[in-house]
Amino acid sequence: METLGFLMDGFAVALQPENLMFALLGAFLGTLIGALPGLGPANGVAILIPLAFTLGLRPETALIMLTAVYAGAMYGGRISSILLNIPGDEPAMMTCLDGYPMARKGKAAEALAISAVASFMGSLIATIGLILLAPILARFALTFGPAEYFALFLLAFATLGGITGKNPMKTVVAACIGLMIATVGIDNTGVQRFTFGALELYEGVDFIIAIVGLFAISELLFFIEDKAGGGKEKMQVNKLKLSFADLRAIMPSCFRGGFLGFIAGVLPGAGASLGSFIGYTLEKKMVGKKGYFGEGDPRGVAGPEAGNNGASSGALVPMLTLGVPGSGTTAVLLALLISMNITPGPLMFTQNADIVWGVIAALLIGNFLLLVLNIPLVGIFVKLLSVPPRYLLPIVTMIAFVGIYSISNTTFDLYFMVAFGVAGYIFRKLEIPLVPIILGLLLGPEMEKNLRHALDLADGDWSVLWESGLAIGLWVFAGLGLILPYILGPLLRRRMGKAMEEGPTAD
Amino acid sequence: MTSLNDRIFGVLMIVLALAYGWGATQLPEPFGGSEAVGPETFPLLLAIGLGLSSLYLVVRPDPDNAWPWSRTGLELIIAVVVLIFYALLLQPLGFIISTTLAVGLLSWRMGAQPKVAFITGALAGVVVFLIFNFALDLALPLGLLDFLEVN
Repeated sequence: METLGFLMDGFAVALQPENLMFALLGAFLGTLIGALPGLGPANGVAILIPLAFTLGLRPETALIMLTAVYAGAMYGGRISSILLNIPGDEPAMMTCLDGYPMARKGKAAEALAISAVASFMGSLIATIGLILLAPILARFALTFGPAEYFALFLLAFATLGGITGKNPMKTVVAACIGLMIATVGIDNTGVQRFTFGALELYEGVDFIIAIVGLFAISELLFFIEDKAGGGKEKMQVNKLKLSFADLRAIMPSCFRGGFLGFIAGVLPGAGASLGSFIGYTLEKKMVGKKGYFGEGDPRGVAGPEAGNNGASSGALVPMLTLGVPGSGTTAVLLALLISMNITPGPLMFTQNADIVWGVIAALLIGNFLLLVLNIPLVGIFVKLLSVPPRYLLPIVTMIAFVGIYSISNTTFDLYFMVAFGVAGYIFRKLEIPLVPIILGLLLGPEMEKNLRHALDLADGDWSVLWESGLAIGLWVFAGLGLILPYILGPLLRRRMGKAMEEGPTAD
Repeated sequence: MTSLNDRIFGVLMIVLALAYGWGATQLPEPFGGSEAVGPETFPLLLAIGLGLSSLYLVVRPDPDNAWPWSRTGLELIIAVVVLIFYALLLQPLGFIISTTLAVGLLSWRMGAQPKVAFITGALAGVVVFLIFNFALDLALPLGLLDFLEVN
């Protein structure tokens, strides 16, 4: 019941008019970001971080706004899936399978409304899960010593590629690069490392600059390469005709999808893509021959959408309780926390309880706002979606420039950002994942600090790192995280690929 | 299909790992004597990690993604040059003019009509400038237009 009291305090924070306003703004911007193909949630949140700084927001307000953006992006991803058969982001892929056929049958509005309701249900279930699970996990995490934390960080890197990831070795390469960049600057012992005497590097590389450069600038370059500036065909949305019975029919799918998605989100290495995939395949199995999946079955929209949103809320659990994010977007949210001088992890639940519970309450409120926003306003989002990227992306880039510039008012940071953008483009071409680089940048200092503490306590005896049972367990899981993708990865990818082929893309 | 990309990248990263690792051994001892974990310990671990994982890329590379040569490659270089000049000219020319030029050029190169592109750039520049200066109270540089300054 203690939790309930905290949650009430959280609502008191989140319902302050200012916070509520920014939650609404975030939800709107997030839906927009999610809807635009290519501008994924991690990217969108990254661009908005400098904005949160320049607005001079209080930490809880900034976090509430960006959490709303995060939730909104997951809602937005489905709009282009359903209307255009182009997923706005990867987890929205499964929504294409039945969403697009529904739209082609002239039921676009119904598909959008069902997916909005399913998203809401998925998030709601997962947020309740978060409320129940997070305090327990945080209490458990208090027993972690420095050696366990060091192993936990390794686990986070090892599982970041996910079970469906292509080449885990590239994750290792990326993580090392990120950690190396993090060592630039003056370290804990007061020694300058890899600064080459440049004054700008004494305080290290600002990860916000790196994140915005890696995501936003490289995205612009990819759009130019794909010559995708032209935008898409015009879309029509019919008038909504949805009865209560239709909604009741999809409720079981929502519950199943949301619950499975939450579990997939909490577990390291699974993530939202797997959440929506499991949501879809389970629906197909459960309904069996009675369904008409792949031809516009509403349950085929509800299942993966609930799974997708459930997973994205679930992914907040490790980020808030352990300080170890499980996905790209939660990594970017972690960046925000660190730059606001809040140490994420179990202590946050006691030291910054107002922020944590404010965010959790904001997640609930944000989802409600999104449901209210999404059903009547879907027409506006559809209109905005037809703004061609050739205007949109240069403007997004410009906003990234202004944001970075306004943090420190120096152009040096801008060159740095462009350099990161070019590097990001090359990395993406080589299929080196960007998220481990960012996670390395974020976790590097903590990881080194924990290594130092652990070894100082043990008088330089390295075996302390795998002495406790808990640490050994973490090491084993980290090892599995690297090996399993080689065994299970091709199998799962083939099944996901097959599901896609059976879907509407085949015709 | 070749796998040259990963091999070249792997070799470059091995070189980086060696240089970085060597750099780490050259770091001075911290004030107050050496410790169990000095400033060089963690970097050395990273150098080993990067070296080994890069070696794997050299030995077992993935198939290549094609690089955009010729026209598209040139467009990419133009875009990067535009961004560099945007950063370079932001203060001397001021935010509005440099944004008009940068956003205009980028949209034009992405296929918009030149006139529409530059109007979009100018509009975006003015709107963002007004928002930042008046609503957010953050001064963006006016540059050449500083005769417009209202105080």
